[in-house]
Amino acid sequence: MLVVRAIREHDLEGLLALAMQVGPGMTTLKPDRKTLGRRVEIACASFAGQIAPEQRDYVFVMEDTDANRLVGVCAIKAAVGLDEPFYNYRIGTLVHSSSELGVFSRMETLYLSNDLTGCAELCSLFLHPDYRSGSNGRLLSKSRFLFIAQFPHLFPEKLIAEMRGFQRADGSSPFWDSLGRHFFRMDFSRADDLTSLGQKSFIAELMPRHPLYVAYLPAEAQEVIGLTHVDTAPARRLLEQEGMHYEGYVDIFDAGPVLQARVIELRALRDSELAAVDADDVPESADDEPFLLSTTSMADFRVAAARVRPEEGRIGLSEACRRGLAVGQGDVVRTMALNPKKVSHA
Amino acid sequence: MFLVRPADTPDIPALETLAATATPGVHTLARTRKSIEKAVERSNASFASRPRTPSDETYQFVLEAPDGSLAGTASVLATAGAAGNFFAFRNDVLNQVSRDLDISHSVHALTLCSDLSSHSQLSGFYLRNRSGAGAEAALLSRARLLFAAAAPQRFADKFFASMSGVTDAGGRSPFWEALGRKFFRMDFLEAERIIEGARNRTLIVELMPHYPVYVPLLPQEAQAAMGQVHADSELPFRILTEEGFAPDEYIDIFDGAPVLRAHKHALRSFSASVACSATAGEPHAQTALCLVATLREERFRVALCRCGLHESSERAALPSEAMRRLDTAEGDSVLCVTL
Repeated sequence: MLVVRAIREHDLEGLLALAMQVGPGMTTLKPDRKTLGRRVEIACASFAGQIAPEQRDYVFVMEDTDANRLVGVCAIKAAVGLDEPFYNYRIGTLVHSSSELGVFSRMETLYLSNDLTGCAELCSLFLHPDYRSGSNGRLLSKSRFLFIAQFPHLFPEKLIAEMRGFQRADGSSPFWDSLGRHFFRMDFSRADDLTSLGQKSFIAELMPRHPLYVAYLPAEAQEVIGLTHVDTAPARRLLEQEGMHYEGYVDIFDAGPVLQARVIELRALRDSELAAVDADDVPESADDEPFLLSTTSMADFRVAAARVRPEEGRIGLSEACRRGLAVGQGDVVRTMALNPKKVSHA
Repeated sequence: MFLVRPADTPDIPALETLAATATPGVHTLARTRKSIEKAVERSNASFASRPRTPSDETYQFVLEAPDGSLAGTASVLATAGAAGNFFAFRNDVLNQVSRDLDISHSVHALTLCSDLSSHSQLSGFYLRNRSGAGAEAALLSRARLLFAAAAPQRFADKFFASMSGVTDAGGRSPFWEALGRKFFRMDFLEAERIIEGARNRTLIVELMPHYPVYVPLLPQEAQAAMGQVHADSELPFRILTEEGFAPDEYIDIFDGAPVLRAHKHALRSFSASVACSATAGEPHAQTALCLVATLREERFRVALCRCGLHESSERAALPSEAMRRLDTAEGDSVLCVTL
């Protein structure tokens, strides 16, 4: 059985093994023992409530309890940009108009902004390739929304998620090549590495401070603004199902979109419900919708998926499910259908 | 003998004929009868005025060929921005330094500015026979500066002149394609025609970018056109750089052509000219060709002639024809500068 749960100190080895699988492009999960060790420490202190809410970094792991193995990871940063500036481009509009000439030019512009400072961020999602099947990816990604629904008071007004931007087959970024490269004089991957290592001062030092007219960029670079990397497109759809959407903020390096939502408008906050557990060993029925089930404890937060049917505040869970969630008869769990009832874009 | 003098009302038909021969690339030249009349009227008023400081005067000169026909015209504006700020791009250098990363390089950025508004501006330079022109081209161009040297209170301390930028045979400007077109949504020549070559119109503020344009973001072809002059401008470019003008950080907002700029003290008409009293004589053929200007504000004249300058520099021996054409009498003050 697959369970997503709050990370523990002893998960470091498993996390390192997982990080080895990640490969380049994911800057927050580099297989570096020291960095990951520090991150696990902060995550444990976060779940234990030992540090201030805005400093918290909630890291979750997905465990295959049968194989006793970590197979996925995901995280929620409680707030971005409070220690170091968090940069995005905001896509704005400037109208240049002359009634004398009868010319009306509506120009898109890129404004360097720190507008998203203080927002919570979904990040560091990775699922082992062996487990990329069925609803595993959805369980892993969406488990975080149940956490937020259970503890909304710990989060700021807005939640964001940065999507990887478009890359060519060779991994280069047309947006970077047309813009960042001129100012940074380095490869995209090196700039990306430096930011993930927290060396962000160079952004302020080297990035153009004035708004840029999109029309100056070559067509290839213009076209990829707000486009998601092809591998990240499924992850984007999952987040959109939960109420997140693109509102014109993009990454300053590769122009990947930032998805954002007001926390209170997330599907998990509107639709998830609490239910008391009944010990019920009826086998799962294929007729039932898959549900996400989470515990209500922060220190031992757990999420699993099962085909069950909550009714009138009660829910019957199998023995395996109860063990996976570490709940017993009468304990309360939070429940939410894995898939939204109506997929808006279907 | 070629002579430069202020344009006057009887010149209007000849100016109209002259304008008709101008290529479409010359935009600062008045072309219609009405605009020519207006320009001459304005020039007459300017010469007649007695300003203590430069204001909205425009002085128009004409070049008279030895046969008495009108061979060219040129103007100078006392204040470039008198009728509205004069816009140019200032090419700034931004230093990009990151000590952490040991990176240090510079990026150029073009900023729309009106820095040149308080300068005096040379404009409307047009010769009937440009390709075959000799020294009279320099006479026409520099006569404006000799007038300024003779009447410095009428002008600013700094002067500039816009050149025309590179275009291809079809009149397409690579700099315009990369920049102006995005905002104006029309062809370069069409925009120049509509705006009449002016750089001081409100619609420039309305349409042109308010934020700096980072040069590395422009296509190579547009970057290469920055600071380059059109073949038509090579002659005025050469005359003005020999005079002491230099291209510096300003370029034209439409075609990226250089704006030549100078403080008056850097100009030969100011610094290398000598005031002497005219005396009739026939300088021999070895004496230098000079521009000789009258040092009076009414009936201003400049001629191109051989001029015998005495060691003491107090007297200039001029051919009698020059004395006559300059309308100068023995002992009158003249301003001489070698060609």
